[in-house]
Amino acid sequence: MTAGVADLFGTAAVAALIGGLAAVERKGAVQLMLSRPIVLAPLLGWALGDPRGGLVLGVPLELIFLGGVNLGGSLPENETLLAAALTSAVVPAGIAAGTGVDAPLAALGLALLYPLAVAGRRLDRASERHNAQLSDLALARAARGGDGAALNLRGLLLPFAVTASICFACAAFAPFLGLARGACPPRLASGLTGAWHAVWALAAASAIRAIRDPRAPAFAAFGFGATIAAAALLRALP
Amino acid sequence: MTDAARAESAPRRVSPRTLLRVLWRSLFLQAAWNPRGMQNLGFAYAMEPALRDLYPDGSARARALERHLEFFNCHPYLAAAILGGAVRLEEDVARGAAEPRTVSAFKSALASPFAALGDGFFWLALRPAAALIAAVTEPYLGLWCVALFLAIYDGVHLAARAWLFFAGYRRGEGIVAAVSHAHLPQIIGFLKGSAAVLAGGIAGRSVVVAGLPHRPWHAVLISVLIVALAALLPRVGLTAALYTAMALGLALGGGFL
Repeated sequence: MTAGVADLFGTAAVAALIGGLAAVERKGAVQLMLSRPIVLAPLLGWALGDPRGGLVLGVPLELIFLGGVNLGGSLPENETLLAAALTSAVVPAGIAAGTGVDAPLAALGLALLYPLAVAGRRLDRASERHNAQLSDLALARAARGGDGAALNLRGLLLPFAVTASICFACAAFAPFLGLARGACPPRLASGLTGAWHAVWALAAASAIRAIRDPRAPAFAAFGFGATIAAAALLRALP
Repeated sequence: MTDAARAESAPRRVSPRTLLRVLWRSLFLQAAWNPRGMQNLGFAYAMEPALRDLYPDGSARARALERHLEFFNCHPYLAAAILGGAVRLEEDVARGAAEPRTVSAFKSALASPFAALGDGFFWLALRPAAALIAAVTEPYLGLWCVALFLAIYDGVHLAARAWLFFAGYRRGEGIVAAVSHAHLPQIIGFLKGSAAVLAGGIAGRSVVVAGLPHRPWHAVLISVLIVALAALLPRVGLTAALYTAMALGLALGGGFL
Protein backbone atom coordinates (compact mmCIF):
# COMPACT_ATOMS: atom_id res chain seq x y z
CA MET A 1 0.00 0.00 0.00
CA THR A 2 2.78 2.41 1.02
CA ALA A 3 4.79 1.43 -2.08
CA GLY A 4 1.72 2.07 -4.24
CA VAL A 5 1.25 5.53 -2.75
CA ALA A 6 4.96 6.26 -3.20
CA ASP A 7 4.75 5.16 -6.87
CA LEU A 8 1.70 7.35 -7.40
CA PHE A 9 3.47 10.29 -5.77
CA GLY A 10 6.53 9.73 -7.98
CA THR A 11 4.38 9.56 -11.13
CA ALA A 12 2.52 12.72 -10.11
CA ALA A 13 5.78 14.56 -9.38
CA VAL A 14 7.21 13.66 -12.81
CA ALA A 15 3.97 14.75 -14.50
CA ALA A 16 4.02 18.02 -12.54
CA LEU A 17 7.63 18.81 -13.47
CA ILE A 18 7.24 18.10 -17.20
CA GLY A 19 3.83 19.77 -17.38
CA GLY A 20 5.16 22.87 -15.60
CA LEU A 21 8.19 23.14 -17.88
CA ALA A 22 5.97 22.75 -20.93
CA ALA A 23 3.74 25.60 -19.70
CA VAL A 24 6.82 27.83 -19.51
CA GLU A 25 8.05 26.73 -22.94
CA ARG A 26 4.68 27.40 -24.58
CA LYS A 27 5.02 31.18 -24.69
CA GLY A 28 7.53 32.50 -22.17
CA ALA A 29 10.72 30.62 -23.00
CA VAL A 30 12.43 29.33 -26.13
CA GLN A 31 9.30 28.17 -28.03
CA LEU A 32 10.84 25.11 -29.64
CA MET A 33 7.30 23.69 -29.83
CA LEU A 34 8.10 21.08 -27.18
CA SER A 35 4.85 22.14 -25.52
CA ARG A 36 2.71 21.32 -28.57
CA PRO A 37 0.46 18.30 -27.92
CA ILE A 38 2.15 16.19 -30.64
CA VAL A 39 5.48 16.50 -28.77
CA LEU A 40 4.42 16.96 -25.16
CA ALA A 41 2.00 14.02 -24.94
CA PRO A 42 4.48 11.35 -26.18
CA LEU A 43 7.30 12.92 -24.15
CA LEU A 44 5.23 12.91 -20.98
CA GLY A 45 3.90 9.46 -21.91
CA TRP A 46 7.50 8.24 -22.15
CA ALA A 47 8.28 9.66 -18.71
CA LEU A 48 5.19 7.93 -17.32
CA GLY A 49 5.91 4.59 -19.01
CA ASP A 50 3.94 4.59 -22.29
CA PRO A 51 5.16 6.91 -25.08
CA ARG A 52 2.88 5.32 -27.69
CA GLY A 53 -0.08 5.96 -25.43
CA GLY A 54 0.97 9.60 -25.29
CA LEU A 55 1.13 9.70 -29.08
CA VAL A 56 -2.43 8.32 -29.33
CA LEU A 57 -3.56 11.41 -27.39
CA GLY A 58 -1.14 13.91 -28.86
CA VAL A 59 -1.85 13.64 -32.59
CA PRO A 60 -5.61 14.42 -32.56
CA LEU A 61 -5.10 17.11 -29.91
CA GLU A 62 -2.47 18.75 -32.11
CA LEU A 63 -4.88 18.82 -35.04
CA ILE A 64 -7.79 20.10 -32.95
CA PHE A 65 -5.69 23.05 -31.75
CA LEU A 66 -3.78 23.60 -35.00
CA GLY A 67 -5.58 26.88 -35.69
CA GLY A 68 -5.21 28.26 -32.17
CA VAL A 69 -2.72 31.09 -32.50
CA ASN A 70 -1.76 33.64 -29.87
CA LEU A 71 -1.69 36.79 -31.98
CA GLY A 72 -1.13 39.97 -29.97
CA GLY A 73 -3.72 40.13 -27.20
CA SER A 74 -5.93 37.29 -28.46
CA LEU A 75 -5.76 34.08 -26.46
CA PRO A 76 -6.65 30.64 -27.82
CA GLU A 77 -7.58 27.67 -25.64
CA ASN A 78 -4.59 26.36 -23.71
CA GLU A 79 -3.67 23.19 -25.60
CA THR A 80 -0.56 22.62 -23.49
CA LEU A 81 -2.45 22.50 -20.20
CA LEU A 82 -4.98 20.07 -21.69
CA ALA A 83 -2.33 17.83 -23.29
CA ALA A 84 -0.26 17.72 -20.09
CA ALA A 85 -3.24 17.08 -17.81
CA LEU A 86 -4.82 14.50 -20.13
CA THR A 87 -1.56 12.57 -20.55
CA SER A 88 -0.89 12.74 -16.78
CA ALA A 89 -4.29 11.16 -16.12
CA VAL A 90 -4.80 8.79 -19.04
CA VAL A 91 -1.37 7.14 -19.45
CA PRO A 92 -1.11 5.92 -15.81
CA ALA A 93 -4.83 4.98 -15.96
CA GLY A 94 -4.19 2.82 -19.03
CA ILE A 95 -1.28 1.12 -17.30
CA ALA A 96 -3.40 0.53 -14.18
CA ALA A 97 -6.38 -0.83 -16.17
CA GLY A 98 -4.14 -3.05 -18.30
CA THR A 99 -5.70 -1.69 -21.49
CA GLY A 100 -3.06 0.88 -22.34
CA VAL A 101 -4.31 4.08 -23.92
CA ASP A 102 -7.15 2.70 -26.05
CA ALA A 103 -9.91 4.66 -27.76
CA PRO A 104 -12.50 4.31 -24.93
CA LEU A 105 -10.07 5.50 -22.27
CA ALA A 106 -8.84 8.38 -24.43
CA ALA A 107 -12.42 9.51 -25.14
CA LEU A 108 -13.41 9.23 -21.47
CA GLY A 109 -10.38 11.24 -20.36
CA LEU A 110 -10.90 13.92 -22.99
CA ALA A 111 -14.60 14.33 -22.14
CA LEU A 112 -13.73 14.79 -18.47
CA LEU A 113 -10.68 17.04 -18.84
CA TYR A 114 -11.42 19.18 -21.91
CA PRO A 115 -12.71 22.09 -19.76
CA LEU A 116 -9.09 22.56 -18.64
CA ALA A 117 -8.27 23.93 -22.11
CA VAL A 118 -10.83 26.67 -21.52
CA ALA A 119 -9.71 27.22 -17.91
CA GLY A 120 -6.16 27.53 -19.24
CA ARG A 121 -7.16 30.68 -21.07
CA ARG A 122 -8.11 32.23 -17.72
CA LEU A 123 -4.72 31.18 -16.40
CA ASP A 124 -3.10 32.98 -19.34
CA ARG A 125 -5.09 36.14 -18.59
CA ALA A 126 -4.09 35.96 -14.92
CA SER A 127 -0.42 35.58 -15.95
CA GLU A 128 -0.70 38.65 -18.14
CA ARG A 129 -2.16 40.72 -15.29
CA HIS A 130 0.68 39.55 -13.03
CA ASN A 131 3.21 40.40 -15.74
CA ALA A 132 1.77 43.91 -16.09
CA GLN A 133 2.60 44.45 -12.42
CA LEU A 134 6.14 43.20 -13.07
CA SER A 135 6.45 45.64 -15.98
CA ASP A 136 5.32 48.55 -13.78
CA LEU A 137 7.82 47.51 -11.13
CA ALA A 138 10.63 47.34 -13.71
CA LEU A 139 9.74 50.82 -15.02
CA ALA A 140 9.74 52.21 -11.48
CA ARG A 141 13.17 50.67 -10.79
CA ALA A 142 14.58 52.01 -14.06
CA ALA A 143 13.26 55.49 -13.24
CA ARG A 144 15.19 55.32 -9.94
CA GLY A 145 18.33 54.34 -11.86
CA GLY A 146 18.10 50.65 -10.99
CA ASP A 147 17.98 47.51 -13.10
CA GLY A 148 14.49 46.08 -13.40
CA ALA A 149 15.04 43.89 -16.46
CA ALA A 150 15.80 40.76 -14.43
CA LEU A 151 12.16 40.77 -13.27
CA ASN A 152 11.37 39.34 -16.71
CA LEU A 153 11.99 35.75 -15.63
CA ARG A 154 9.56 36.03 -12.72
CA GLY A 155 6.81 35.95 -15.34
CA LEU A 156 7.51 32.24 -15.80
CA LEU A 157 6.62 31.26 -12.24
CA LEU A 158 2.81 31.47 -12.32
CA PRO A 159 2.23 29.31 -15.44
CA PHE A 160 4.77 26.79 -14.13
CA ALA A 161 3.21 26.53 -10.67
CA VAL A 162 -0.43 26.31 -11.78
CA THR A 163 0.17 23.81 -14.60
CA ALA A 164 2.41 21.65 -12.41
CA SER A 165 -0.28 21.56 -9.69
CA ILE A 166 -2.99 20.58 -12.18
CA CYS A 167 -0.81 17.81 -13.67
CA PHE A 168 -0.03 16.52 -10.19
CA ALA A 169 -3.75 16.36 -9.36
CA CYS A 170 -4.57 14.66 -12.68
CA ALA A 171 -1.90 11.99 -12.15
CA ALA A 172 -3.24 11.40 -8.64
CA PHE A 173 -6.72 10.99 -10.16
CA ALA A 174 -5.45 8.39 -12.69
CA PRO A 175 -6.25 5.24 -10.62
CA PHE A 176 -9.92 6.25 -10.50
CA LEU A 177 -9.96 6.77 -14.26
CA GLY A 178 -8.34 3.33 -14.65
CA LEU A 179 -11.09 1.80 -12.48
CA ALA A 180 -13.77 3.54 -14.55
CA ARG A 181 -12.22 2.17 -17.77
CA GLY A 182 -12.06 -1.32 -16.31
CA ALA A 183 -15.72 -1.15 -15.29
CA CYS A 184 -16.95 -0.06 -18.76
CA PRO A 185 -19.46 -2.58 -20.18
CA PRO A 186 -18.75 -3.61 -23.80
CA ARG A 187 -21.55 -1.50 -25.22
CA LEU A 188 -20.29 1.65 -23.49
CA ALA A 189 -16.71 0.85 -24.57
CA SER A 190 -17.97 0.54 -28.14
CA GLY A 191 -19.79 3.87 -27.77
CA LEU A 192 -16.65 5.54 -26.45
CA THR A 193 -14.70 4.13 -29.40
CA GLY A 194 -17.28 5.82 -31.65
CA ALA A 195 -16.78 9.04 -29.67
CA TRP A 196 -13.02 8.82 -30.30
CA HIS A 197 -13.67 8.43 -34.04
CA ALA A 198 -15.76 11.60 -33.80
CA VAL A 199 -12.83 13.32 -32.06
CA TRP A 200 -10.72 12.44 -35.10
CA ALA A 201 -13.44 13.88 -37.34
CA LEU A 202 -13.26 17.12 -35.36
CA ALA A 203 -9.46 17.01 -35.57
CA ALA A 204 -9.61 16.71 -39.36
CA ALA A 205 -12.20 19.51 -39.68
CA SER A 206 -10.23 21.73 -37.34
CA ALA A 207 -7.01 21.10 -39.30
CA ILE A 208 -8.74 22.13 -42.54
CA ARG A 209 -10.02 25.30 -40.86
CA ALA A 210 -6.55 26.04 -39.53
CA ILE A 211 -5.21 26.61 -43.05
CA ARG A 212 -6.24 30.22 -43.49
CA ASP A 213 -6.20 30.27 -47.24
CA PRO A 214 -9.11 30.58 -49.70
CA ARG A 215 -7.79 27.57 -51.66
CA ALA A 216 -7.74 25.31 -48.58
CA PRO A 217 -11.20 23.65 -49.02
CA ALA A 218 -10.42 22.70 -52.64
CA PHE A 219 -6.98 21.33 -51.77
CA ALA A 220 -8.43 19.46 -48.78
CA ALA A 221 -11.15 17.94 -50.98
CA PHE A 222 -8.42 16.72 -53.32
CA GLY A 223 -6.47 15.17 -50.41
CA PHE A 224 -9.66 13.56 -49.07
CA GLY A 225 -10.60 12.05 -52.44
CA ALA A 226 -7.07 10.80 -53.09
CA THR A 227 -6.93 9.06 -49.70
CA ILE A 228 -10.32 7.36 -50.12
CA ALA A 229 -9.37 6.26 -53.63
CA ALA A 230 -6.00 4.93 -52.44
CA ALA A 231 -7.69 3.01 -49.60
CA ALA A 232 -10.27 1.53 -52.00
CA LEU A 233 -7.52 0.55 -54.42
CA LEU A 234 -5.48 -1.13 -51.70
CA ARG A 235 -8.55 -3.09 -50.52
CA ALA A 236 -9.33 -4.18 -54.07
CA LEU A 237 -5.86 -5.58 -54.64
CA PRO A 238 -5.62 -9.34 -54.17
CA MET B 1 36.87 58.41 -12.57
CA THR B 2 34.44 61.05 -13.95
CA ASP B 3 31.38 60.19 -16.05
CA ALA B 4 33.08 61.60 -19.14
CA ALA B 5 36.16 59.50 -18.54
CA ARG B 6 34.03 56.42 -17.96
CA ALA B 7 32.11 57.07 -21.18
CA GLU B 8 35.41 57.50 -23.00
CA SER B 9 36.66 54.16 -21.68
CA ALA B 10 33.47 52.33 -22.74
CA PRO B 11 33.95 49.87 -25.61
CA ARG B 12 32.59 51.01 -28.96
CA ARG B 13 31.48 47.50 -29.80
CA VAL B 14 29.95 44.75 -27.68
CA SER B 15 32.03 41.60 -27.44
CA PRO B 16 31.05 38.40 -29.32
CA ARG B 17 30.34 36.78 -25.94
CA THR B 18 27.92 39.59 -25.08
CA LEU B 19 26.22 39.21 -28.44
CA LEU B 20 25.70 35.52 -27.72
CA ARG B 21 24.26 36.40 -24.30
CA VAL B 22 21.80 38.79 -25.95
CA LEU B 23 20.82 36.06 -28.41
CA TRP B 24 20.32 33.58 -25.55
CA ARG B 25 18.22 36.04 -23.59
CA SER B 26 16.10 36.72 -26.68
CA LEU B 27 14.70 33.22 -26.15
CA PHE B 28 12.89 34.66 -23.08
CA LEU B 29 11.41 37.65 -24.91
CA GLN B 30 7.86 36.77 -23.87
CA ALA B 31 8.51 35.55 -20.33
CA ALA B 32 6.65 38.54 -18.89
CA TRP B 33 4.35 39.33 -21.83
CA ASN B 34 1.76 41.80 -20.62
CA PRO B 35 -1.09 43.75 -22.21
CA ARG B 36 0.44 47.19 -21.47
CA GLY B 37 4.02 46.93 -22.67
CA MET B 38 3.68 43.49 -24.34
CA GLN B 39 7.31 42.29 -24.85
CA ASN B 40 8.87 45.41 -23.27
CA LEU B 41 10.32 43.66 -20.23
CA GLY B 42 11.65 40.76 -22.32
CA PHE B 43 13.31 43.17 -24.76
CA ALA B 44 14.99 45.11 -21.96
CA TYR B 45 16.10 41.83 -20.36
CA ALA B 46 17.68 40.68 -23.64
CA MET B 47 19.43 44.03 -24.21
CA GLU B 48 20.78 44.29 -20.68
CA PRO B 49 24.18 42.54 -21.26
CA ALA B 50 24.88 44.80 -24.26
CA LEU B 51 23.90 47.92 -22.31
CA ARG B 52 26.17 46.84 -19.46
CA ASP B 53 29.09 46.68 -21.92
CA LEU B 54 28.29 49.97 -23.65
CA TYR B 55 27.35 52.12 -20.65
CA PRO B 56 29.65 51.57 -17.68
CA ASP B 57 28.04 54.60 -16.06
CA GLY B 58 24.98 53.49 -14.08
CA SER B 59 22.75 56.48 -14.82
CA ALA B 60 23.42 56.35 -18.60
CA ARG B 61 22.70 52.62 -18.53
CA ALA B 62 19.44 53.18 -16.65
CA ARG B 63 18.36 55.74 -19.27
CA ALA B 64 19.18 53.27 -22.04
CA LEU B 65 17.30 50.52 -20.23
CA GLU B 66 14.29 52.79 -19.91
CA ARG B 67 14.30 53.17 -23.70
CA HIS B 68 13.90 49.43 -24.03
CA LEU B 69 11.11 49.23 -21.46
CA GLU B 70 8.90 51.12 -23.90
CA PHE B 71 6.02 49.27 -25.56
CA PHE B 72 7.28 46.61 -27.94
CA ASN B 73 5.44 43.83 -29.73
CA CYS B 74 6.69 41.66 -32.56
CA HIS B 75 6.77 38.02 -33.56
CA PRO B 76 9.14 36.40 -31.02
CA TYR B 77 11.42 34.92 -33.72
CA LEU B 78 11.50 37.92 -36.07
CA ALA B 79 12.19 40.15 -33.07
CA ALA B 80 15.71 38.67 -33.11
CA ALA B 81 16.47 40.86 -36.14
CA ILE B 82 15.27 43.96 -34.30
CA LEU B 83 17.30 43.00 -31.23
CA GLY B 84 20.44 42.62 -33.34
CA GLY B 85 19.78 45.96 -35.01
CA ALA B 86 19.07 47.63 -31.66
CA VAL B 87 22.45 46.44 -30.30
CA ARG B 88 24.17 47.93 -33.36
CA LEU B 89 22.30 51.25 -32.93
CA GLU B 90 23.09 51.33 -29.20
CA GLU B 91 26.77 51.04 -30.13
CA ASP B 92 26.33 54.11 -32.35
CA VAL B 93 24.52 55.96 -29.55
CA ALA B 94 27.20 55.03 -27.00
CA ARG B 95 29.97 56.53 -29.14
CA GLY B 96 27.89 59.62 -29.95
CA ALA B 97 27.30 58.76 -33.62
CA ALA B 98 23.49 58.55 -33.29
CA GLU B 99 20.70 60.04 -31.22
CA PRO B 100 19.03 57.80 -28.62
CA ARG B 101 15.67 58.31 -30.29
CA THR B 102 16.89 56.48 -33.43
CA VAL B 103 16.82 53.23 -31.43
CA SER B 104 13.16 53.69 -30.47
CA ALA B 105 12.27 54.77 -33.99
CA PHE B 106 13.99 51.69 -35.46
CA LYS B 107 12.14 49.36 -33.08
CA SER B 108 8.72 50.86 -33.63
CA ALA B 109 9.13 51.05 -37.42
CA LEU B 110 10.00 47.38 -37.82
CA ALA B 111 7.95 45.70 -35.08
CA SER B 112 4.56 45.62 -36.84
CA PRO B 113 5.64 44.53 -40.34
CA PHE B 114 7.96 41.88 -38.91
CA ALA B 115 5.17 40.68 -36.60
CA ALA B 116 2.84 40.22 -39.57
CA LEU B 117 5.55 38.41 -41.53
CA GLY B 118 6.45 36.10 -38.63
CA ASP B 119 2.84 35.29 -37.75
CA GLY B 120 2.05 34.50 -41.38
CA PHE B 121 5.08 32.30 -41.91
CA PHE B 122 5.73 30.53 -38.62
CA TRP B 123 2.31 30.32 -36.91
CA LEU B 124 0.01 30.08 -39.91
CA ALA B 125 2.10 28.15 -42.45
CA LEU B 126 5.20 26.34 -41.17
CA ARG B 127 3.76 25.00 -37.90
CA PRO B 128 0.52 23.64 -39.44
CA ALA B 129 2.48 22.13 -42.34
CA ALA B 130 5.05 20.47 -40.04
CA ALA B 131 2.33 19.16 -37.70
CA LEU B 132 0.29 17.76 -40.60
CA ILE B 133 3.34 16.05 -42.11
CA ALA B 134 3.96 14.45 -38.70
CA ALA B 135 0.28 13.46 -38.32
CA VAL B 136 0.11 11.92 -41.80
CA THR B 137 3.31 9.91 -41.29
CA GLU B 138 2.44 8.80 -37.73
CA PRO B 139 0.99 5.38 -38.77
CA TYR B 140 4.26 4.57 -40.59
CA LEU B 141 6.88 6.30 -38.47
CA GLY B 142 5.34 5.86 -35.02
CA LEU B 143 7.16 7.98 -32.44
CA TRP B 144 9.67 9.13 -35.07
CA CYS B 145 6.96 11.42 -36.42
CA VAL B 146 7.60 13.61 -33.36
CA ALA B 147 11.28 13.90 -34.30
CA LEU B 148 10.23 14.69 -37.88
CA PHE B 149 7.96 17.51 -36.66
CA LEU B 150 10.71 19.01 -34.52
CA ALA B 151 13.35 18.61 -37.26
CA ILE B 152 11.20 20.40 -39.84
CA TYR B 153 9.98 23.16 -37.55
CA ASP B 154 13.03 23.83 -35.41
CA GLY B 155 15.46 23.32 -38.28
CA VAL B 156 13.89 26.36 -39.93
CA HIS B 157 13.07 28.22 -36.73
CA LEU B 158 16.49 28.07 -35.07
CA ALA B 159 18.40 28.79 -38.27
CA ALA B 160 16.12 31.76 -39.00
CA ARG B 161 16.41 33.12 -35.49
CA ALA B 162 20.22 33.02 -35.44
CA TRP B 163 20.51 34.41 -38.98
CA LEU B 164 18.07 37.23 -38.26
CA PHE B 165 19.89 38.24 -35.09
CA PHE B 166 23.35 38.39 -36.64
CA ALA B 167 22.07 39.94 -39.90
CA GLY B 168 20.26 42.56 -37.80
CA TYR B 169 23.46 43.29 -35.91
CA ARG B 170 25.62 43.47 -39.06
CA ARG B 171 23.24 45.50 -41.20
CA GLY B 172 21.31 47.58 -38.66
CA GLU B 173 18.54 49.32 -40.58
CA GLY B 174 19.54 47.39 -43.72
CA ILE B 175 17.90 44.24 -42.28
CA VAL B 176 14.63 45.12 -44.05
CA ALA B 177 16.21 44.58 -47.46
CA ALA B 178 17.76 41.27 -46.33
CA VAL B 179 14.40 39.94 -45.06
CA SER B 180 12.57 41.06 -48.21
CA HIS B 181 14.91 38.86 -50.29
CA ALA B 182 13.74 35.72 -48.46
CA HIS B 183 10.62 35.34 -50.72
CA LEU B 184 8.46 34.43 -47.75
CA PRO B 185 5.04 35.07 -49.40
CA GLN B 186 5.74 32.43 -52.07
CA ILE B 187 6.94 29.92 -49.47
CA ILE B 188 3.86 30.63 -47.32
CA GLY B 189 1.57 29.91 -50.29
CA PHE B 190 3.31 26.60 -51.00
CA LEU B 191 3.24 25.51 -47.34
CA LYS B 192 -0.45 26.35 -46.94
CA GLY B 193 -1.40 24.50 -50.14
CA SER B 194 0.55 21.40 -49.06
CA ALA B 195 -0.91 21.58 -45.55
CA ALA B 196 -4.47 21.73 -46.92
CA VAL B 197 -3.91 18.59 -49.06
CA LEU B 198 -2.51 16.78 -46.01
CA ALA B 199 -5.46 17.92 -43.84
CA GLY B 200 -7.79 16.44 -46.47
CA GLY B 201 -5.75 13.24 -46.32
CA ILE B 202 -6.22 13.09 -42.54
CA ALA B 203 -9.98 13.54 -43.06
CA GLY B 204 -10.00 10.67 -45.57
CA ARG B 205 -8.06 8.45 -43.20
CA SER B 206 -10.50 9.23 -40.35
CA VAL B 207 -13.37 8.02 -42.54
CA VAL B 208 -11.52 4.83 -43.52
CA VAL B 209 -10.59 4.04 -39.90
CA ALA B 210 -14.11 4.79 -38.63
CA GLY B 211 -16.02 2.45 -40.85
CA LEU B 212 -14.86 1.28 -44.22
CA PRO B 213 -15.61 -1.29 -45.51
CA HIS B 214 -17.56 -3.11 -42.77
CA ARG B 215 -19.48 -0.21 -41.21
CA PRO B 216 -20.39 2.05 -44.14
CA TRP B 217 -22.93 4.07 -42.12
CA HIS B 218 -20.22 4.99 -39.62
CA ALA B 219 -18.07 6.16 -42.51
CA VAL B 220 -20.94 8.21 -43.93
CA LEU B 221 -21.65 9.82 -40.55
CA ILE B 222 -17.99 10.66 -39.99
CA SER B 223 -17.80 12.19 -43.49
CA VAL B 224 -20.89 14.31 -42.84
CA LEU B 225 -19.50 15.27 -39.43
CA ILE B 226 -16.19 16.44 -40.93
CA VAL B 227 -17.92 18.59 -43.55
CA ALA B 228 -20.42 20.02 -41.02
CA LEU B 229 -17.73 20.77 -38.46
CA ALA B 230 -15.43 22.36 -41.02
CA ALA B 231 -18.31 24.62 -42.06
CA LEU B 232 -19.70 25.43 -38.62
CA LEU B 233 -16.65 25.44 -36.35
CA PRO B 234 -16.16 29.23 -36.23
CA ARG B 235 -19.83 29.72 -35.31
CA VAL B 236 -20.33 26.97 -32.73
CA GLY B 237 -16.89 27.12 -31.11
CA LEU B 238 -14.50 24.32 -30.27
CA THR B 239 -16.04 23.27 -26.95
CA ALA B 240 -19.59 22.84 -28.28
CA ALA B 241 -18.25 21.15 -31.42
CA LEU B 242 -16.21 18.66 -29.39
CA TYR B 243 -19.01 17.60 -27.07
CA THR B 244 -21.62 17.44 -29.86
CA ALA B 245 -19.32 15.32 -32.01
CA MET B 246 -18.49 13.02 -29.09
CA ALA B 247 -22.18 12.60 -28.18
CA LEU B 248 -22.98 11.64 -31.78
CA GLY B 249 -20.05 9.25 -31.91
CA LEU B 250 -21.07 7.72 -28.57
CA ALA B 251 -24.63 7.18 -29.77
CA LEU B 252 -23.51 5.64 -33.05
CA GLY B 253 -20.74 3.49 -31.60
CA GLY B 254 -22.95 2.27 -28.74
CA GLY B 255 -25.76 1.35 -31.13
CA PHE B 256 -28.16 3.95 -29.77
CA LEU B 257 -28.83 5.40 -33.22
